[in-house]
Amino acid sequence: MIGARSVADAAPPPLLWVCAASAAAFLLHATQFPAWVTLTALALVGWRVAAAIGRVRLPGRAVRILLGLSLVIAVLAEFHTLNGLAPGTAMLMLMASIKLLETRDRRDQYIVIGGALFLLLAACLDRQELARVPLYALEALLCCAALAVVAYSSARGTEGSPQPAGLPTREALVLAARTLLFATPLAVLLFLFFPRLPGHFWAVNAGEDAVTGLGDTLTPGSITRLTASYDIAFRVRFDGPPPPPEERYWRGPVMHEFDGSTWRTGPFSLGGAQRLDCLSRPYRYRVFLEPTFRHWWLALDTVMDSPSAAVGYTGDYQLIAAQPVSGSLDYRALSCTHVRSLAPLSPAARVEDTRLPSGRNPRTAMLALQLRHRAGSDGAFVQAVLAFLRTGGFTYSLTPPPLGAEPIDDFLFNTRTGFCGHYASAFVDLMRAGGVPSRVVTGYLGGQWNPFDGTLIVRQSDAHAWAEVWLEGRGWTRVDPTAVVAPERLYRGILDLLPNAVSASERLVHAWPWLSTALERWAALNGWWNERVVSFDSRAQLNVLRDLGFRSPELRDAGWAFALTLLAWLAWLSWQFGRAAAGPRLDRLGRAYARLCRKLARTGVPRAPHQGPLAYAQTLVRFRPDLALRVRPLLEAYAELRFGPGSQRAPARDLQAFERAVGRLTVSRPSRLRRSREGAQRGRKGSAERDAD
Amino acid sequence: MTATGALAKFQERLAHRAAEWARRRNGADRLPLSLGRRRLYILPTRAGIGFGGLVFTMLAAGLNYTNSLALLLTFLLAGFALVAMHECHRNLLGLSLLEAAAQPMFAGTTGTLCLTLENASRLPRYRIEAALDGPPSLALDLPASSRGKIELAIPALARGLRRIERLRISSSHPFGLFRVWTWIHAPIEVLVYPRAAGSLPLPADRGVRSGTWPRGTAGADEWLGLRPFRDGDSPRQVAWKAYAREAPLLVKEYSSSGSPLRLLSLEDARQADLESRLAQLARWIVDAEADGSLYGLELPGAQLPAHRGPDHRHRCLSALALFGT
Repeated sequence: MIGARSVADAAPPPLLWVCAASAAAFLLHATQFPAWVTLTALALVGWRVAAAIGRVRLPGRAVRILLGLSLVIAVLAEFHTLNGLAPGTAMLMLMASIKLLETRDRRDQYIVIGGALFLLLAACLDRQELARVPLYALEALLCCAALAVVAYSSARGTEGSPQPAGLPTREALVLAARTLLFATPLAVLLFLFFPRLPGHFWAVNAGEDAVTGLGDTLTPGSITRLTASYDIAFRVRFDGPPPPPEERYWRGPVMHEFDGSTWRTGPFSLGGAQRLDCLSRPYRYRVFLEPTFRHWWLALDTVMDSPSAAVGYTGDYQLIAAQPVSGSLDYRALSCTHVRSLAPLSPAARVEDTRLPSGRNPRTAMLALQLRHRAGSDGAFVQAVLAFLRTGGFTYSLTPPPLGAEPIDDFLFNTRTGFCGHYASAFVDLMRAGGVPSRVVTGYLGGQWNPFDGTLIVRQSDAHAWAEVWLEGRGWTRVDPTAVVAPERLYRGILDLLPNAVSASERLVHAWPWLSTALERWAALNGWWNERVVSFDSRAQLNVLRDLGFRSPELRDAGWAFALTLLAWLAWLSWQFGRAAAGPRLDRLGRAYARLCRKLARTGVPRAPHQGPLAYAQTLVRFRPDLALRVRPLLEAYAELRFGPGSQRAPARDLQAFERAVGRLTVSRPSRLRRSREGAQRGRKGSAERDAD
Repeated sequence: MTATGALAKFQERLAHRAAEWARRRNGADRLPLSLGRRRLYILPTRAGIGFGGLVFTMLAAGLNYTNSLALLLTFLLAGFALVAMHECHRNLLGLSLLEAAAQPMFAGTTGTLCLTLENASRLPRYRIEAALDGPPSLALDLPASSRGKIELAIPALARGLRRIERLRISSSHPFGLFRVWTWIHAPIEVLVYPRAAGSLPLPADRGVRSGTWPRGTAGADEWLGLRPFRDGDSPRQVAWKAYAREAPLLVKEYSSSGSPLRLLSLEDARQADLESRLAQLARWIVDAEADGSLYGLELPGAQLPAHRGPDHRHRCLSALALFGT
């Protein structure tokens, strides 16, 4: 076992298949991991291939162990743990590639293919986009074809054929594809009916590192990265007409604490929501949320209640789930876009939402005091600040210059260039300095209407920040200072507003309507996929059963449906393959002749495979002279119809006559005369078995 | 060590019991036969069991993460394994074993059993293996509507007419996850000549001897008799007169001048026991045939007149093989 020569080379063709299947599985994870993980694994595959060709030697056992240990340490250094999906997958990937280095025989190759299949599963757990499904299907095909090649070459070939003749690539792929195709109906049936269990068996370690979307802090400038992303954040389907574009504010994290440069959410107060009076039309809708790995569930402006028991409803109308959103999910909600609070603001909340760090941004505080002094009321103060923003020479930009040590001062009196985060935080800072309770709300603004499936698509590039101020007699009121500076932002996405902020390809999409139509269709398809496939769960399963006619479906019914469909599929498969294994399909004459021979076999003198009809007639008549007059003409007629002159186009009349004659023929068993009844039954059974064969 | 020994013993007993059961179940077979569903057995291989374990692990992971795509993949692979099982079964289903013929062999050497298989179906069959109780043969691929031969090594057997009790035809195509097999209990007989051994020299040329033995006089070809026509015989040697009398095509045979004439008898093979003496006789027959002699065989109760050629050699060795049985 020690030394470079100890690992005998496996025959190259199956090994190459195994290497290809592994490499493809590694590539599926290329976007998930730091580059070194994928590159190392691929390099080890390359080493194995080079060794198979004979260029380099394979490493000895000591080197392999050393390599394995150092890779474990490297993974630990990268992820700080081996527990969890991402580090576990990285570990599996590296170990599979080391295993590849010591593949000697068929067993090792099977193990490596198994590893590749498990990596495919990990990829499915990680990403479920429709666009990746063809890649997954290809990888499954590659693994199955590799199995076929390995199995084929493990049985030694006959002497006639040249020895290393493996399964040709095309045949391996066709074989694997055909098998997978036959398996697809079962996969769909099992998918629909295999009893799903709500919840997890054991704790799932969510990928904390894969955070996307809104954060729980806001430092003006931090949203830049977010706006550049064209990914879908969530989709919404309204029961009635959707709200007008200027009302499409989607609430995410609400920020209360400010330290002069960064906003934070602060502690959550669950259940403190005030009773509200809905001033607008109530909107009922369903949200299909993409994984964010955050606790927030997004909802239209002011949501009236929590959509799920697992989600907390806070005093500032946030929806905060106990578990981060690690997979796609959907929920129903009811919202209003304009509300009035029916209770006064609590003193604690007033203190919290007017608090400012002392000594920070002094020029802003001065301005706020001046404006508040001039304005008669809080409402007039809000209007004065908005007027200041409108007329102060402010511009909207996604690439503002960096801000100095007192960011709000620097922004308001110096750069005067920024985006929603800048305006919202400057506005709230001014409000608080003027003594008006206010807070920053982050979330999304807008959404693109997709006519193909009637949903509103909200993308990461729609991320937004605005303000809410407390006005006596009205309660919390939404104010969007960005809309004052760039009113178009309400009606159009960032893409229209600032073409330079997005990448060239996205601008291209925007320039050509047909391309965006195609993308809308694609988005609709994706929506269907996410809604119907990815988020198919025990509840959806019960709905399917209800549609199938179960009155009040439960888990047991799914079990029944599952068992029945499994049996039906197995029967179909068995029939399908049995038919293929049988001999060539017979023509009409052949079928009639086969029927005749089956009948005559009951005489106890079956036709031997080498006998033609006339030879059989001779043999039969010798054993059963009593049948001569009835059977001999039939066999002769067959010979005439099949081989005689003009047999190529025998009249259908003759064929029908032959068929009828065969149908009329009855053949007594030989046992009737001599044997007892039991003997006769045994004989019948015997001939039945022969027929079955 | 003892544990593995006990396990091996248990496996052996289990295999034996299974074979007995299959024997009782299927009864004796007659060739040609077609492999039907009732006689095909199928079980997962070790790779297949491993694959099953993999699918179960995937199922647990998919259910735990309540991840639909992972479950879909799991179900696809489960279906794949089940379809693979049917494909493996189909690979032998309906296959015909037309003939199983064994060439005569010498005791103590391995022989060859030649199986003729026919695939009458419209689909090709791959990697068909045959085996006696030992390791499987080389694998055979049969295209649609074709025949092929598998040559199978017969282990060393004792002298006499031996029966091959059991034949196994198997395949683990297409993915090696399952192995399908059948046992065939057809009366396949193989004639086992005695071992050709012994160091005594060939008996000397007898020259003249009265009675049944022809004279090998120098200079003149001696008429030996008639034998069936074989391809390559000269038309001049054909016994046309006999053919005209509706006899089969026969060839007149003459002894070539100068061939030694040897009479091999059991008494001359002076060895310790009967088997050694028969072995000595077999050695002589093989040597005599090789050096072109005419040779006859004399056994108690059987006499074969001097002759030569493969047929004669076979007759002589058969007489030895069956002697005393």
